Amino acid sequence: MFSFALKNILFYKGRSLTTFVLTFVSTLLFVVYVSMMDGSHKSMLQNAIKIYTGAIEIYHKDYRDIGGNEYLIQDTSAILKKISQIEGVEAYTSRYETFGLLSSKNNSAASMVAGIEPEKEKSLSSISEALTEGEFLTEKSGNCIYMGVELVKKLKVKLADEVAFIGAASDNSFAADIFRVCGIFKTGSFEFDLSTSFLSRDYFDTLMLSKNKASYITIKVDDLEHVEAVNEKIARVLDDNLESLTWKTLMKTMVEAMEVDSIFGYISLALFLVVIFFVIMIYGFINVSSRIKEFGVLRCVGISNSNIFSLLFYEIFILSTLAIAVAAPIGGYICYYYSINPIVIEGIAEMYKDYGIISDEIPFDFSVFTLAWNILLIYVLNFLSILYPYFYINSFRPIEASRHV
Amino acid sequence: MKYFLALFVTFTLLAADEAHEIIKKLDENMRGESIYMSLSMKILSMKHLREMRLESYSQGTKKSFVKILYPPKDRGITFLSLENQMWQYVPKIERVIKIPPSMMLQNWMGSNITNDDMVRQSSIVEDYEPKIIQKSGTVVTIELTPKEDAAVVWGKIITNIDTATYTSNKDIFYDDEGKEVRVFLYEKVKKFGKYYIPTYWKIQPSDKEDSYTEILIDEVQYDSGISQEYFKKSALKRFSR
Repeated sequence: MFSFALKNILFYKGRSLTTFVLTFVSTLLFVVYVSMMDGSHKSMLQNAIKIYTGAIEIYHKDYRDIGGNEYLIQDTSAILKKISQIEGVEAYTSRYETFGLLSSKNNSAASMVAGIEPEKEKSLSSISEALTEGEFLTEKSGNCIYMGVELVKKLKVKLADEVAFIGAASDNSFAADIFRVCGIFKTGSFEFDLSTSFLSRDYFDTLMLSKNKASYITIKVDDLEHVEAVNEKIARVLDDNLESLTWKTLMKTMVEAMEVDSIFGYISLALFLVVIFFVIMIYGFINVSSRIKEFGVLRCVGISNSNIFSLLFYEIFILSTLAIAVAAPIGGYICYYYSINPIVIEGIAEMYKDYGIISDEIPFDFSVFTLAWNILLIYVLNFLSILYPYFYINSFRPIEASRHV
Repeated sequence: MKYFLALFVTFTLLAADEAHEIIKKLDENMRGESIYMSLSMKILSMKHLREMRLESYSQGTKKSFVKILYPPKDRGITFLSLENQMWQYVPKIERVIKIPPSMMLQNWMGSNITNDDMVRQSSIVEDYEPKIIQKSGTVVTIELTPKEDAAVVWGKIITNIDTATYTSNKDIFYDDEGKEVRVFLYEKVKKFGKYYIPTYWKIQPSDKEDSYTEILIDEVQYDSGISQEYFKKSALKRFSR
């Protein structure tokens, strides 16, 4: 049946070429599109984790839901000591965050002001790399404030200018001070750059009475793939009033938005694949319709129904395999190439800044597993496309089919 | 049918008028034409009690000045509210800071009251629509919902007003989603001239049972002709000393 199928493919050139081209195009498009979609989502997540959010963060229970100084972590050093002994933890630091009012001569803006440990922060987040003007903080920066570029614009200040701060200290008493702008950063995340500023904890703790207290502890893990396992180890050493959360929970909204985006992406692709499926099936059906007499004669000379099915199966198998054999390496190479050299579309980050896009680069994701299931799906669709033509042929009796004109 | 309809409309209008009248009298008691108050404040949070003393000067709903007298660390901090704008002067940093409208709901000086409460920018008469929901003896329970164009922070306020003195004994504040946020309890009503005012207030946040703020009004002077100098921006520094 295999050689018979091969002969048919060569004989019905038009149908064979159409099936080959459609399978080739759909495989290539499917592989590249899925790679681009997965790559964009991974990039958004990695950027979000890289900027400021940790792979794992430890909070006092209710801090995230209710908030306030009542839910600060106390005795931070003892917790950090426990974390340092956990395998899989690459780096960690504590942060003290408060919301206060920053005010220049003529403008005021509410801001999240964070006390950080500058040296440790360098290995945990990319805020030091986001420096655009001035300098990043050091442990001895004093009242130097490191501000987001959008906040700087809003307050209409520049390097070396003074900004007044008023807020509530960690014991809820009133806190006020004058800070000096020493550095300006731009992460590309509009909201973050508009609402965030940093000071060295050494100085900020004195003002906020927050020595050995923290809003949360942020942790970087050796391998992001093992984040859940590390998180379980951390949770085991924490007191009951603390909770340890991974980035999947911390960035739940973003994860959910990406899932929705993926669903819509797959729906669009599914519609495309359905069209391809029907076109292949229709071509197969037209081809089979013109061969009813041939199938009738074959069945009259003793070829069974299962052999007829095998014939159609081999035909589609050969054509699909040929098309996929060409499309898969090309698609795979495109995915691999653009995973290393992302496509750059100037201005896309500015256009989609509200959705967490912070770079003009669109990286692809190269995964052998994804490539495999994409190809498998195309195979399955092509095999399904022979079912209706097969049942159509079977609706004729052998004698009736052999006399069909 | 027409008779019943007319009766219903008349009754509804009378009830609405009554609610407006009660709220108006309550507001008059709380503000007078002008009012000076000397207050003590106790703030309990995180099992730690802090005490403050302050003076408040206000005229109508548009002008208000507050000065902190105690503790020494915060002495001289002043607040001024004019029309819909608010400023704060902090002697420690010698700066006048404008408080943006977005921060009016923030806690004032670590207490359980907001910036808006302190300067009383929003008015229950002008910004809310009252509706009587219950009467029990002299106590009337009124629901206040924001008027459509009112720039207010609360989704709803339920207030229990004693019509014998036109003072509230309990206010419950709800957010936009109808969730209870805090409760004001008022006691020790005293008469000052023609006005009645509760001299003990307790503010209890609904989500933090172990935290509250108590306000004791030590001295009140109604309609005493407060100098207009208190309601100028220059007052922030001038009266800080």
